[in-house]
Amino acid sequence: MQAIEAFLTGRIWIKPFIPFPKEVIQEAIEKGSARVVSGISADGQCARCLETSPDYVIPFQCATCGEVCRYCRTCIKMGRISSCTELVLWTSPALPKSAPRAFGWAGSLTPQQANASQAISDSIRKQEDHLLYAVCGAGKTEILFSPIHEALQKGLRICVAAPRTDVILELSPRFKQAFPDANVHTLYGDSPEQAGYGEIILATTHQLYRFQEAFDLLFVDEADAFPYSLDPSLERAVKKAAKPSAPVVYISATPSKTLRKQIAGHSTIFRRYHGAPLPVPTYRSMWNYERHIQKGKIPAPLKDWIEDKLQKKQPFLLFFPSIQLIEQASPLLHKIDCAIAAVHSKDPQRKEKVMQLRDGGLSGLATSTILERGITIPHLQVAVIGADHCVFDRAALIQIAGRVGRSAEDPTGDVIFFHNGITRQMDAAREEILFYNKLGKA
Amino acid sequence: MNCCLCDQVLRFAPSWRGIFLYEPPELLCQPCRNEFSKITGQGCKYCGKEGEAVCRDCHYWEEHGYRGLIHSGKSLYRYNDAMKDWFHQYKFLKDVLLAQVFAKDLREALANERALIVPIPLNAEKLRERSFSQVDELLLAAGIPYSHLLEKCGETLGEKTREERMATKQLFRLNERVVPKQLVLVDDLYTTGTTMRQAAKTLQEAGAESIRILTLIRA
Repeated sequence: MQAIEAFLTGRIWIKPFIPFPKEVIQEAIEKGSARVVSGISADGQCARCLETSPDYVIPFQCATCGEVCRYCRTCIKMGRISSCTELVLWTSPALPKSAPRAFGWAGSLTPQQANASQAISDSIRKQEDHLLYAVCGAGKTEILFSPIHEALQKGLRICVAAPRTDVILELSPRFKQAFPDANVHTLYGDSPEQAGYGEIILATTHQLYRFQEAFDLLFVDEADAFPYSLDPSLERAVKKAAKPSAPVVYISATPSKTLRKQIAGHSTIFRRYHGAPLPVPTYRSMWNYERHIQKGKIPAPLKDWIEDKLQKKQPFLLFFPSIQLIEQASPLLHKIDCAIAAVHSKDPQRKEKVMQLRDGGLSGLATSTILERGITIPHLQVAVIGADHCVFDRAALIQIAGRVGRSAEDPTGDVIFFHNGITRQMDAAREEILFYNKLGKA
Repeated sequence: MNCCLCDQVLRFAPSWRGIFLYEPPELLCQPCRNEFSKITGQGCKYCGKEGEAVCRDCHYWEEHGYRGLIHSGKSLYRYNDAMKDWFHQYKFLKDVLLAQVFAKDLREALANERALIVPIPLNAEKLRERSFSQVDELLLAAGIPYSHLLEKCGETLGEKTREERMATKQLFRLNERVVPKQLVLVDDLYTTGTTMRQAAKTLQEAGAESIRILTLIRA
């Protein structure tokens, strides 16, 4: 395979940004291996992210081409494209080559995991979509290894997409180890350029904009918000990156009802890999917590809880509903113990602080909802301050509770909802966890 | 419509003014709007920087052969983090729509202006590359008529150090238009004042007598 072919196959790329000499690109276009499309189509659709809304596709007087151009704001962070921007697509198909491939994963699956893994393989063979509905800490990544290995041997191109960079970075070394002879590309905002043809692509959902009809098999991790996600462009991105007949496997701990109805093939795991039940949240009232914190006082129930965890030397997370409240509470928490730090989505030291909590350098972290997913810290305890707030919906609360008791040596821990009145979302989350535990036991 | 910076849904806030008068739709949510910080009160008489009556940069120019060249000047906003983000998205990600964000401020600052308004131009090659002129678009969004009197010669200041910038010689040449006695030079960002001094010098040599300056941001 030529280097330019390896790079461009399945991709849709801004012509001047293709990392090959102009002549090479021109030659490929003239030979018909690649074709050029306009950045924004005549009827106002962005060719990269498929945005059509006139709120995001904006006309302006363009000095590059001298005419009225339109540009797309939805995917502008990946380099602006306008009507006069040329995008290049590779058109000659890559032929799948089947061959036996190395498999570097030697772990074992629980019977439930093995069933799910088998069911996914079956769906893929039938080219049907599948939903893996598995609780937090069920060991989802391991379940995927065997179906992926099977697909790899058939010469299929595989993508695993997740909404957040943290998750992709965590998956990357595990995949490289499991598939030692495969070319695994890891793509996120500002990721380094990776050589050759990526057979397995781990990408943030946003990066999928840059692919078109590329994948024979797609896994969408943390697909809770599908299909009515807050950002409909991401759903379009998944559809566009997959080949028309490619099966999509959705993975979620809290799938929406619509997704559950929409997809025929399901497999469910309601039990964690270590077999212990999920920790069930408890409620504790903490009236007017906001006012107390604003007045410079940590409410007594919370203070008692924190002191208890400090005494037991257990790391803890405190989830707050807003950054503003974190900022108000942070100096007060610092007074209780100077090893309690605060972190939020705009914090550049987010990763370091989580590492410190894991290593014992910090005793606790006050956080916004950003840490609700993807982190695993042994012996972790969790409190939600203001669980009645609207940012904590059912799915968020289940995810937060799912941070606790993930390791086999200590599968228990506190999940406590401090509230200003019990909401339906809190009850829904608690009931769902109890329901998982009931089914998981059976 | 969502906020054009953070993409949160904009909440419609009804007002008496809105009922009786036409108000252009808001582009930003209130929290984003509050992040920007206006320059208030008296500052440098030449560039509007807060603090002394003549700032360090302008003092340098006054002492080094540019005395009295600029009659007076003003800047509207501080170059804080929010403004840096806005500027980056507008000028370098080329999000032309963001020119509308400060339309009202520029309109208020220039609506009753009698002197000719002269934007600082881009050179032709840069203009083609960027696809729009950031200063022109700001004025267009504000509905302020303007007229180009200058053309940019080859050099750009973007990648230069402070010393290199201040030592730059010829940046502009005149186009064929007649230069009036009074004018206001407009630019997006005032960093050291080199651009403005160079432009003003070229215009003064062509007969301008009173040159004032307005910049959106003072770094």
